[in-house]
Amino acid sequence: MAVQTPARAPADRRGARPRGRAAPRPPGKAGKAWLFSTPFLLVFGLMYAMPLIAGLVMGFTDMRSTDVRNPLAVNFVGLENYERLFQDEAMRRAATNTLFFVVTTTPLTIAAGLAAAMLLDSGITRLRTFFRLGYYLPYVTSIIGIAVAWRLLLDPQAGLVNDLLRTVGIDGPAWLLDERTALPSLVLMTAWRNFGFDMVVFLAALQSVPRELYEAAQVDGAGTWARFRRITVPMLRPALLFCGVYSAAGFLQFLEEPLVMTRGGPLNSTLSASLAIYNQFGFGNYGYGAAAATVLFTVIAAFSFAQFRWLRPRT
Amino acid sequence: MKRYTTGSLALLTAGLVALAGCGRASDGGAAEAPKDVDTSAAATGTLSVWAMGTEGEALASFAKQFETANPGIKVTVTPVGWDVAHDKITASIAGRSTPDVSMIGSTWMGELAKSGAVDPTPGNVIDKAAFFPSAWGTVEVDGTAYGVPWYVETRVLYYRKDLADKAGVAPPATWDETKTFVKALQKAGAEQGMQLNYTVGSWQEILPLVWQQGGSITGADGKWTFDTPELVKALEVQRSYFEEGLASNKVDPASFPASFFKGDVGAYYSGPWMIAGMEKDGGPGFAEKFGVAPYPKGSASGTSFIGGSDLVVFKDSANRDAAWKFVRWLSEPATQAKWYSAVKALPSVQAAWELPEVSADERVAVFGEQLKDAKTPPPFPTWDQISKAIDQEVEKVALGKTSPKDAAKAIQAQADAVGTGL
Amino acid sequence: MVTGRMRGRVRVRTAVLYTALTVGLVAVAGPFLWTVLGSFKPDAEIRRDPPTFLPAEWIGGNYAALFERMDVVTVTINSVVVASVVVASNLLFCSLVAYALTKLDFAGGRLVFGLVLLQMMVPGIVLLIPQFVTIASLNLADTYAGIVLPGLVTPLGVFMMRQFMADIPDELVQAARVDGSGEFRIFFQIVMPLCKPVLATLGLITFMGSWNAFLWPAVVAQHKEMYTLPVALASLSGRDSVHYGMLLAGVVVVITPVLLLFVALQRYFVQGVATAGLK
Repeated sequence: MAVQTPARAPADRRGARPRGRAAPRPPGKAGKAWLFSTPFLLVFGLMYAMPLIAGLVMGFTDMRSTDVRNPLAVNFVGLENYERLFQDEAMRRAATNTLFFVVTTTPLTIAAGLAAAMLLDSGITRLRTFFRLGYYLPYVTSIIGIAVAWRLLLDPQAGLVNDLLRTVGIDGPAWLLDERTALPSLVLMTAWRNFGFDMVVFLAALQSVPRELYEAAQVDGAGTWARFRRITVPMLRPALLFCGVYSAAGFLQFLEEPLVMTRGGPLNSTLSASLAIYNQFGFGNYGYGAAAATVLFTVIAAFSFAQFRWLRPRT
Repeated sequence: MKRYTTGSLALLTAGLVALAGCGRASDGGAAEAPKDVDTSAAATGTLSVWAMGTEGEALASFAKQFETANPGIKVTVTPVGWDVAHDKITASIAGRSTPDVSMIGSTWMGELAKSGAVDPTPGNVIDKAAFFPSAWGTVEVDGTAYGVPWYVETRVLYYRKDLADKAGVAPPATWDETKTFVKALQKAGAEQGMQLNYTVGSWQEILPLVWQQGGSITGADGKWTFDTPELVKALEVQRSYFEEGLASNKVDPASFPASFFKGDVGAYYSGPWMIAGMEKDGGPGFAEKFGVAPYPKGSASGTSFIGGSDLVVFKDSANRDAAWKFVRWLSEPATQAKWYSAVKALPSVQAAWELPEVSADERVAVFGEQLKDAKTPPPFPTWDQISKAIDQEVEKVALGKTSPKDAAKAIQAQADAVGTGL
Repeated sequence: MVTGRMRGRVRVRTAVLYTALTVGLVAVAGPFLWTVLGSFKPDAEIRRDPPTFLPAEWIGGNYAALFERMDVVTVTINSVVVASVVVASNLLFCSLVAYALTKLDFAGGRLVFGLVLLQMMVPGIVLLIPQFVTIASLNLADTYAGIVLPGLVTPLGVFMMRQFMADIPDELVQAARVDGSGEFRIFFQIVMPLCKPVLATLGLITFMGSWNAFLWPAVVAQHKEMYTLPVALASLSGRDSVHYGMLLAGVVVVITPVLLLFVALQRYFVQGVATAGLK
């Protein structure tokens, strides 16, 4: 919260166990190791441990925002919050939306990132850095700022997007105002914002593909598509997996885009799980919100665990 | 370090105690009696004050006058963004680091009063009778007043005067006349005769329709009553505008007010801040092209919605007496009139309306008239959530996804599940 | 003849590539350009139908209004102080943990790393109130310390550094140990210099995060003299009126420093992502 972790970051492919590789455990280093970890442990202990426990416990109480002055005086309600969660229409809608968002945005981001990387890696030299920089732009800017621009651009009447569509004879939709197009609009916007990251990863990976492979394939008469399918994709498999799985984990926490663009509307069509939780806290329903957060946390944790298993190099 | 341990331990034990089954006190906290303020001396010391939006920006220099009158006082005003104001106030209550005085949205009062963080209004510095009764309604929770209404806003009808003149119609006095009026505006050139809000905040347009039929959203037992003929009728009335093509349910709210300037929209309901907006952004001569009129009457009345902001003093204030003196100063008719001149916030104190700063503008006078018949939703802690549920169903009705009857039932079901929070 | 045709084909291919790249760039960078241009338009033109791309008339009024209503110098200094502390602290402390995890392989490593993961996966909104209670009990509300404290060591940073350091050959470290160097010396003189690209990447990412952070600083700062840039910007928006031009000007002011930093560090950045994320 203090430092907003960017949506995605380089993942760990090696599993939760720090690997020792060739190094034997240096004798007498445990003290040093703890010393080196102290700053992290201090911040964690002070700012995260207690709040985490408080959050977990809160989920089993009927705590509301009106109780913050006397957090002791709340009732233990067992699993009631959790039972309510599964009957809550808005929460169910949020879960479906989040799922839709993750399964559409992830491939779209990867496809755009891969396309950009391949264009940049296709032998051009002039302006390469310039283009790379341009494509990376959206990733480094804050969503809060750029949301204003997007909302104005997507305005059905006075927006530039529909104006451009009109010049080619298309009557553009109402984008964020139409139940059918609102979530897809956010999917496009999120892909736009994030593909630069995947692009950089793919660029790095493409550079490690031996050129001879392509030359040999060309000699054998393989077309562009065949070369892409037979050489590029298999060689990029680790990169693709990494981007796919890591993006998906980030997109599960999809919050900022709907919060600043649509507030979850119209008719909850862009309500995400994180936004639904955010709303519950806004309503003052701390117990209920915390229970929902615990469920989301469990899903993310399970997903991340699967990611570690999946991406661990097969040995 | 010690305080830290205490704070976190409190949270941790909160959980443990809850698990152990000791719970909240069953009486729900009896109403507390306000304590008088010592008024024998001028205010001294320091005061920290939070205020949002335009008010937050303007109050710092405005408060200098209070400092001049009370040489021993230093007032520090912190402007807070509306987006974070609620979170920030809740966090400060939890962390016991509240300011002395804060502006709050009038619909937050129930929640803050229930939290026990705000000081009941001392009768010896604040006179309830000076305020509009409808405005005072925003600070009273369960019979006890917390803070004062600072400024008010209420909704009236804005319309294109030039189009109305062209069509030869006068602003409507009743629901039926409204429809004729809107049709006439449409004939005179407005694509959408009227702009109606069916998205965020649409409850502010629906509740007046309920009240205007003599309906209410709470029963005598203090529970929510939404599944009523009045609400169904209100939703039907709004829907009929969409169905008859008198209002559109396909426009971006952001295209407004440009659409009103262009003449695409003929009329809308809104608050006093739009007067300045219309005059400033409408372009040269636009000030002559629009008019305001009181809410058209339903079968019972022409009741409008009253909102605005309240001022509260926090219990944890180290300078309570000075805080209330500052609030008292802000509620004096003369101060209220000056404040109106500074930020165009309508006085909540009736006497201020007699002063020339306020009474000069005849458009503003329409609001003064409307304030005599305006209501606020009950200050229950859960109101925010209930209002979102209403917005949601109103939107469904407007888009033809549900019927007014089902919508009223759905709102009732959600309101029952959420409760009043008291 | 043959070579001529081939050269022709290469030329066509190059033209196609550049066209595709340019079209893509317009689509990707268009919204930015529009934002920058919009910040020089009057409000009426921003909302005009049909819309304009280039300002019909360039005005500086939006920036003037922004600078008049906001103490840009103070809030920028606050933002720079907060971001610098967060960046410096992350670069150092995340690296220390990463070093412990990779080069001092110890029994508590799994636990420490588990906590890192835990912190990363928690939906942040749950933490807001309890964290503020902690900050307030420490008497750190309304201080720089309170604003930076929760972000001093981010799990993301530990993650990236650990990833990178794992690939630094242990033999280097061992050799230094044999030579009698202490762990701190090895860390600062051997390992850290090797980490430059990933440090640049981490620095940029934490800077972005801290620079753009909004809710937490808004809650902790109690006086406008403690506000950071995004917090001050947000306090300007009224409830019912939106001054779009000024808002866009604010967006440009917030985005520009991050962009400049990115341009300056982008060589390292690509290298850093490549090595830390994937190899």
